[in-house]
Amino acid sequence: MATLTPTLIGRGAEAEIYSGDFLGLKVVVKKRVSKPFRDPIYNRVFIESRTRTEAKILSELYLAGLPVPPVFLVDEEAGVIVMGYVEGSRLSDVLGGLAESSIKKIGWSIGKYAALMHNKGVYHGDYTLANIILTSSEDLVIIDFGLAGYSNDIEEYAIDLHLMSRSAEAMYPELAGVFTRSVFEGYLEYSEVGGDSVIKKVREIRARGRYIEREVRKAVLREKYVD
Amino acid sequence: MLRGRQFQIPVQIPPVKDHLIVLGIESTSHTFGVGIIELNNHSVRVLANVSSQYKPVKGGIHPSEASQHHVNVAHSVVKKALDDAGVDVKSVNAVAVAVGPGLGPCLRVGATLARFISAYWNKPLVAVNHAVAHIEIGKLVSGMVDPLVVYISGGNTLVAIQRDKKYRVLGETLDIPLGNLLDTFAREVGLAPPYVVSGKHAVDVCAEWSSEFTPLPFTVKGSDLSFSGLLTAALRMARESKGDRALLGKICNSLRETVFNMLIEVTERSLMLTGKKEILLVGGVASNTTLREKFKVLAEFYGCRYYGTPPEIAGDNGLMIAYTGLLSYLYGRTTRPEDLTVKQRFRLDEETYPWLP
Repeated sequence: MATLTPTLIGRGAEAEIYSGDFLGLKVVVKKRVSKPFRDPIYNRVFIESRTRTEAKILSELYLAGLPVPPVFLVDEEAGVIVMGYVEGSRLSDVLGGLAESSIKKIGWSIGKYAALMHNKGVYHGDYTLANIILTSSEDLVIIDFGLAGYSNDIEEYAIDLHLMSRSAEAMYPELAGVFTRSVFEGYLEYSEVGGDSVIKKVREIRARGRYIEREVRKAVLREKYVD
Repeated sequence: MLRGRQFQIPVQIPPVKDHLIVLGIESTSHTFGVGIIELNNHSVRVLANVSSQYKPVKGGIHPSEASQHHVNVAHSVVKKALDDAGVDVKSVNAVAVAVGPGLGPCLRVGATLARFISAYWNKPLVAVNHAVAHIEIGKLVSGMVDPLVVYISGGNTLVAIQRDKKYRVLGETLDIPLGNLLDTFAREVGLAPPYVVSGKHAVDVCAEWSSEFTPLPFTVKGSDLSFSGLLTAALRMARESKGDRALLGKICNSLRETVFNMLIEVTERSLMLTGKKEILLVGGVASNTTLREKFKVLAEFYGCRYYGTPPEIAGDNGLMIAYTGLLSYLYGRTTRPEDLTVKQRFRLDEETYPWLP
């Protein structure tokens, strides 16, 4: 068998991330861990079901040609996935230092990939800047499908776009407008699930936030009930 | 008791005044509160913090009943605060009031009183955002400068950070707030009102009837939360319990475990996203002992500093309005009485605050 000598390289919200070597390939080992502040039943349910879903969706998207890490090994009970290593930086760390043309291009691709996922009935569930890796060749790789799932409900698709735009607003408020517009453009171009209605839904989700300005809420509700 | 205690101001303030006394009025929801704070160079001293709470006899908060309560107690609460502080209203340098977010009729009681004090005694008037005040008082008492803020109450559930002089919301509830979920559940199954008895919520009391756990819908979307599906599922199960104490206890225990885990999960995700090293828990639900315990373990797990505001300032209070009003006043942000308006949907991330990093 392979030489898998993992070294801890990071800790995510629900997993420990190791890098290692597998059959000469550089890999990432994602191990979901029990949390001391969680009920034991939840720990088990979380680790098994999220590992299973993530591995399944990663393989499906990889085979469909989407830029996600390839899966090599899965152990549901241990909560372990071994997948391809992606070299690059999290978009949440680097977006601020990029030229506007790059930001537009990246936004557009992020929209396109969201559309391609949604066309397959898959939502990401945590589609934020922190979960997009920018490689040195300016390619994007989508990671962390721990909250992903299958659904035909456009609400789930809209939440992906909502999360992406909100993470941009929180981290890079001055760039968020340009970025989000490009995301929507890319999305509309590739969506086969009714891109217009998904984007309309994004606005509706925003209007549901607590204490949004009355005018915005009215405008959204009007749209909803008029047509 | 915070009265008489002195705190170093953890934010930047302009050196315009060495000494100031500010009176703050809180009336956004069920609490009518008045706080008085004194500035001495770069620290503040709590002179008074007096509250009176409207408690519905049945059902939830009725806005006009709550505002009636505020009108009835306003005079005695102000008087008690001034007596506690040992100051005359004439020696107060500015009056601050929470103008939102909150319930319209309740907000208007505080606003009317503040306009009156300001106009009659010719005192500068300062409008304060209630959510910002919850966070600022937490920062003051904890001494934290740049925390990840978790704000949970009957009306709010959100995770925020400071950036470019503004509060930025990283995650929030997509439907009902966490406190509202617990209150609604308790009311619907007949456990409340009263919602809180000697510092314990009805759901916490009920959760002690069982240590069993059953998974309920867990809806986390990135850093956002959704509680409505969970409420429906828990209520459906409760309807089947038909007076079975152990079963209802199991549902309460599971409900509590689920909502707190959801909150913990979005906090973890936000910690990862921002790399913050301090967690500040504020808002009425911050005084829940089970939740505080979980946050303590969470903070240890990630090597972060954690602070949960104590009950006196976790719930709504006038002191936080006085303190935040003081900061605003130092930066010259005053309003004329005729221009002061209440904002029921005043968002945390709507305005810039010059003392933020």
